[in-house]
Amino acid sequence: MSDLEVQVGLAAQAGQPDRAAQSGRRRRFGVAETAAAVLALFLLASAVVPQLLAPGDPLGIDPLSAFQPPSGAHGFGTDESGRDIYTRVVHGTQYSLLIGAAATAIGLGLGIVLGTLAGMLGRVVDFTVNRVLEVLFAFPGLLLALLFILIFGPGVATATIAVGLSTAPGYARIIRAQLISVRSAAFVEAATVLGRTRWQILLRHILPNTLAPLFVLATLGIGQAIVWAATLSYLGLGAEPPTAEWGAMLSAGRTYITSAWWMSFFPGLFIVLTAVTATVLGRSIDRRMRHA
Amino acid sequence: MPFRHPWRTRRLLAATTGIIALGLLVAGCTPAGSNEPVGEPKTGGTLTYASGDAEPTCLDPHVGGNFPQALVSAQYLESLVSRDTAGTIIPWLAESWIPSEDGLTWDFTLRSDVTFTDGTVFDAAAVQANIAHLQDPTTLSSTGYLGLGKVTGTEAVSPTVVRFTLSEPDSALLESLSQTWLAMESPTALERSQDENCASPVGTGPFLVDSWVKQNAITLVRNDDYVSPPADAAHAGPAYLDKVIWRFIPDSASRYAALQSGEVDVIDNAQPDTIVQAKQSDSIEQLDSPRPGASNRIELNSGQAPFNDVRVREAFIRSANVDDAVSSLFQGTATRSYSALSSAESTAVSNPALFDYDPAAAVTLLQAAGWGQTDADGYRIKDGVRLSVEFPVSTNQSIPAEQSVFEQIQATAKETGFEVKLAPMDLSSWYAALASNDYDAVSAPYTKVGPDVLRILYHSASIVPAPSGYFANLAQVNDPAIDELLTTAARTTDVAERASLYADAQNRILEGFYILPLYDQQNHYLLRSDVIGLRTLPTVAVPTLYDTWLNR
Repeated sequence: MSDLEVQVGLAAQAGQPDRAAQSGRRRRFGVAETAAAVLALFLLASAVVPQLLAPGDPLGIDPLSAFQPPSGAHGFGTDESGRDIYTRVVHGTQYSLLIGAAATAIGLGLGIVLGTLAGMLGRVVDFTVNRVLEVLFAFPGLLLALLFILIFGPGVATATIAVGLSTAPGYARIIRAQLISVRSAAFVEAATVLGRTRWQILLRHILPNTLAPLFVLATLGIGQAIVWAATLSYLGLGAEPPTAEWGAMLSAGRTYITSAWWMSFFPGLFIVLTAVTATVLGRSIDRRMRHA
Repeated sequence: MPFRHPWRTRRLLAATTGIIALGLLVAGCTPAGSNEPVGEPKTGGTLTYASGDAEPTCLDPHVGGNFPQALVSAQYLESLVSRDTAGTIIPWLAESWIPSEDGLTWDFTLRSDVTFTDGTVFDAAAVQANIAHLQDPTTLSSTGYLGLGKVTGTEAVSPTVVRFTLSEPDSALLESLSQTWLAMESPTALERSQDENCASPVGTGPFLVDSWVKQNAITLVRNDDYVSPPADAAHAGPAYLDKVIWRFIPDSASRYAALQSGEVDVIDNAQPDTIVQAKQSDSIEQLDSPRPGASNRIELNSGQAPFNDVRVREAFIRSANVDDAVSSLFQGTATRSYSALSSAESTAVSNPALFDYDPAAAVTLLQAAGWGQTDADGYRIKDGVRLSVEFPVSTNQSIPAEQSVFEQIQATAKETGFEVKLAPMDLSSWYAALASNDYDAVSAPYTKVGPDVLRILYHSASIVPAPSGYFANLAQVNDPAIDELLTTAARTTDVAERASLYADAQNRILEGFYILPLYDQQNHYLLRSDVIGLRTLPTVAVPTLYDTWLNR
């Protein structure tokens, strides 16, 4: 079972006790949700208009002010080449968010195709797709990603595709299960009786009912994809230095961890905050949809 | 402006440098902040050494021949000759040597009182067996094999005199033989299978290999019958330490933490920030010993565009702000080099004026070379082609600080309009990129004792790839005048004449803007203050634990 499935499983279970909470207090936003929403706004702003939040050049070096601890001039300190870490962290958001969103889109897209094939096209296809998924499940997702990078070479694009590919089996399984349960619903039977074709039923009745929960999955998945992408960059397989990517910055800071903790602390903090934000928001959306 | 000294001044300079270096070395081994004498050496104890270099796949440095092998095997293997800090060749297992008048035969007189740790006698036949082993293609020797390129045969004149026959005079023979990669091993042990000999090579050194648990540690124990220290050792008789545990801790932060906690006593490959920290600590000392041979430098591939134009090469060098990069990243632990050779080489020629950071001059040069226009990103273009420099970086060979130096060069060269494309890669991809000529700039360390390294790196014959695909002349210098100087120097045994030939060759290389020197090949060791008497062999700059003892 992948991390994602565990998360979704938990989210589904959480529905039980939540019902009581829902009826008891009609609070619209919890503290965590509010904080997550604020952070998400900040991250989105960082990704879209980084110049507004950090006007400096994330690649601009200043050798003479290298290794400066956090101070008024450099809120998060400077790195080994005198680059401002705050500027780099802000400018790095776009890579992480873009990689996270793109990888999730790839994983989800592939998952939908595979899951639909398995759920709709009869036993032989279902059997084949399932065995393929089981083989893919036998490898941890990160290992699949590493294998892909080994073949196609490191870089932001390959890392994104690699993360997307390695999350696809998880999505495919969930979609297939969802499809099968929807397929036997009364309204599908009704549509069949009314003489709709298989594709009409799929597009008009089954998919819309399957895809709604996917929105939740996607939000949760972005957090995971960001962590994975940062992991790959940390290992030197994603963004290449001196790109202001969080994982790559974390890796560069590791060398100086005994003398310049801020070099790895702040990129690390942002990876954690982003992943947590995505998870909190995903859960929150999940809850709302369940009880809408 | 060529920078030359008359020979006499040069020798004086070398000797003075040597004395100062020796003084620094001695100073480096005394606990800082205390002037009290450390007293008589104490025998006994176990020293733990932690190496940041890769664990060797074979403990016999004849096989292959890289730095990690030299580091550990210098504890149990010894060479025919050594070199002192002034660059003079001194006796070790060979007491004396005489070349013939024509330089084609060399007679080495060997010590008669030495036995290998397996009981085999060290004699002329043993030397012959070692030379044969190094030259045997099945040994797969690379460094040792290259060092014996001109040796066509050996002969045992008597049990203690061995004669080397050469195809042509070789002024680098003694320097080659001084290297740990050409050290003497027991002929009895060499007869075993290569796997066996790799696991437990047998030498004449102060320690012997007791066990090797791969991925963990090599255990060395004292050779109680040891009699053959090199002429510059501090004492005679067996070593002081009972035992040496040789560990491998690749991560630099963990290695330093292990030293701080006292878990290990000596570490190598110390990173600049930890050296600076160690200077403020009373319990840790530093030993700095630049590797011999070439300096660390960026080679510009003159074999293809854009660096086939000397103006573009000079423009690149003038647009790279190396000084600020070195001072910020190495924090005073490395000195900027302006030479093709290491400062450990007395024949090194330095010419700082050629390497001034001068972006304005770079722009003028580029304009003259036809790179006058710039594109939207600020990079220069000519005939629609961008001025790009492919720069593959070996993450195995360039430490993080060095990779950051390259990033800073990338940033400053961009201001002049160069697009430097840094591509960090693992060792095999890096070799592949070089072999397929997919590079415009590259940094490749090369360690060899003596200035003959110039012939390996800059003679046009070294552009021809070896069967492995690797070629050492990565700047692809193809200058008949340089070839002539290097070939002549390699045959010239007169010390002064040889030095002058190498000086001319170096000047031509520097003035051709084929290379951008950075600093010496960094070789910093950190040790606990109670480790006394650690020094490096002035040959290949690896530590020797023979004189070392623990003051605890």
